[in-house]
Amino acid sequence: MKRVGVFICHCGSNIASVVDVKSVAEAAKSFPYVAYATDYQFMCSEPGQEVIKKAIKEHNLDRVVVASCTPRLHEPTFQKTLESAGLNPYMLEMANIREQCAWVHSKNKEEATIKAIDLVRTAVAKVTRNEQLFANKIPNNKKALVIGAGIAGMQTAIDIADAGYKVVLVEKEPTIGGNMVKLDKTFPTLDCSA
Amino acid sequence: MVAAAQHPNIEIMTYAEVEKVNGYIGNFEVTIRKKARCVDEEKCTGCGLCQEKCPSKVDSEFDLGLGKRKAIYTPFPQAVPNVPVIDKENCRKFTKNKCGICQKLCPTGAVDYEQKDEIITDKFGAIVMATGFEQFKWEEVYGEYGYGKYPDVITGLHFERMNNASGPTGGKIVRPSDGKEPKTVVFIKCVGSRDEAKAKSYCSRACCMYTAKHAHQVKEKIADSEAIVFYMDVRTPGKAYDEFYEKTLEDGALYLRGRVSKIYQKGDKLIVKGEDTLVGKPLQVEADLVVLATAMVPAEGYEEIAKKVGVAFDKDGWLQEAHPKLRPVETHTAGVFVAGACQGPKDIPDTVAQASAAASKVAALFTKDELTTSPLISEVDTSKCSGCGMCEPVCPYNAIAMKTISERVPGGQRERQVSEVNAGLCQGCGACTVACRSGAINLKGFTNEQILAEVDAICL
Repeated sequence: MKRVGVFICHCGSNIASVVDVKSVAEAAKSFPYVAYATDYQFMCSEPGQEVIKKAIKEHNLDRVVVASCTPRLHEPTFQKTLESAGLNPYMLEMANIREQCAWVHSKNKEEATIKAIDLVRTAVAKVTRNEQLFANKIPNNKKALVIGAGIAGMQTAIDIADAGYKVVLVEKEPTIGGNMVKLDKTFPTLDCSA
Repeated sequence: MVAAAQHPNIEIMTYAEVEKVNGYIGNFEVTIRKKARCVDEEKCTGCGLCQEKCPSKVDSEFDLGLGKRKAIYTPFPQAVPNVPVIDKENCRKFTKNKCGICQKLCPTGAVDYEQKDEIITDKFGAIVMATGFEQFKWEEVYGEYGYGKYPDVITGLHFERMNNASGPTGGKIVRPSDGKEPKTVVFIKCVGSRDEAKAKSYCSRACCMYTAKHAHQVKEKIADSEAIVFYMDVRTPGKAYDEFYEKTLEDGALYLRGRVSKIYQKGDKLIVKGEDTLVGKPLQVEADLVVLATAMVPAEGYEEIAKKVGVAFDKDGWLQEAHPKLRPVETHTAGVFVAGACQGPKDIPDTVAQASAAASKVAALFTKDELTTSPLISEVDTSKCSGCGMCEPVCPYNAIAMKTISERVPGGQRERQVSEVNAGLCQGCGACTVACRSGAINLKGFTNEQILAEVDAICL
């Protein structure tokens, strides 16, 4: 039997000042397979992640929906939370109720809340069809290519090389140095550029 | 420069360009074209005899046309490597099959007119883009400053070359037109920057500071000189920056808030017409030299190299970082990083900081012997695949290829074509799943079943 946990984040006041997070959590409880739903001020914080971990153990959850910000920001965070609670990190789905609700519909709180409930419902529908996924291993060639040998390229190459790795520094001009080497003294210290 | 040149872990390839990039994080296969210098790097001792005797003189690109170079040349005396290159377009051997004096005189026989481009292929785990910037071509749009027809209207970079002790004037500030020392030098800031109507909407970030430095240099090097700076704002947000600007004011530089509306030549003077907006009065300056603080734009060829490596760029051509605050040196292509002005205008301290940041990302990546890849990639169900091949051309990462499989059918074996996804190359974009008519391709983590369940949940 699938058991979904739903966690609604306030993101401080970012989400909670627009979306009625309590009623989103309440609505989520009625969705298929949802065994537990709650809300918390900062889901990504350490205590927030503890809320998720504790719920996974106590309610025997096997998959999780976090309704918070864009997955670009915190999907890796919550994947790690699941992993440390013994779940496969790909048993997570995120509903973006910050960018896609609170921020874009800040003038229309009621509709924003309805949309947030819809987004959570879709995320729950998706997560119930998630399967465990596993990463592949690939070899790593420990040699870097730096394209452009101006000050940025030279500094990057030197630092990588100092760390003990091989670097190829490619420059299209006949000499390295880039724009920097054309300069005279450089601000604010007025030392020479070469 | 010397630190990079002498480091045992750094191999420098100058006069070389990246031709092709295949592969993915940890496993990039890169083809590099080393263009023919026509001078053997191993044999050349850098004695300079060839450049001394070469009869063809042309404008030096390095000095932005302020000085001359030969057809066989090193761009500047401290060049690394100190090996000349032959400019085939201006060399008499290549244009008229005459001369050949450099080859005759070279004591080590390093000059080789027959030298061919060399193609090198190598494997890399990470790529750092450090392709830099160039100056905005102000001559094309700023008619009020003369479209570049007045020789004494120059850019900040020209001014740098003149101030440089190894530059075309030996470190003297002079007027390009007559070589005389200018007494009144006008600086105009934001030429191309913060000017949406004519050029770029962004601030180029380094110009306020280098203009302050230039004004200081005028006051320092030329007795009884006047340095007048026309500005929109003075932006000096950096450690010891505002103090530097204050020092320039103390030196006697005159800062006037307002834009210059017109420059024209009158005798050997340049008449600069502008406005001091703080007192609300139009004004006119008779200048000997005008220096424009031109905008930074991405270095020529950025588009080509960004596409080869697979890095996105914004509307102005600056390479796109993965996140403006949290992932400033990473890109959306795993294993590819950005450093310096190719990512956006910046000064030297910021560039160095970003370069070190990119290097630390690469070093952290290289601590791992093996890398894990995202499992969110496409998968072909060969039992459903009709072998139509529609998925192959839509894949932006060349991750799909057709293969032949053999299967048992009533009455024997049958061979047929199906598509196959390369797990290393697939980035999980999902384009193939949409193109697949028989629904045989699923993107793991975003399967057709999952997507349709989402649609049902929102519509039903």
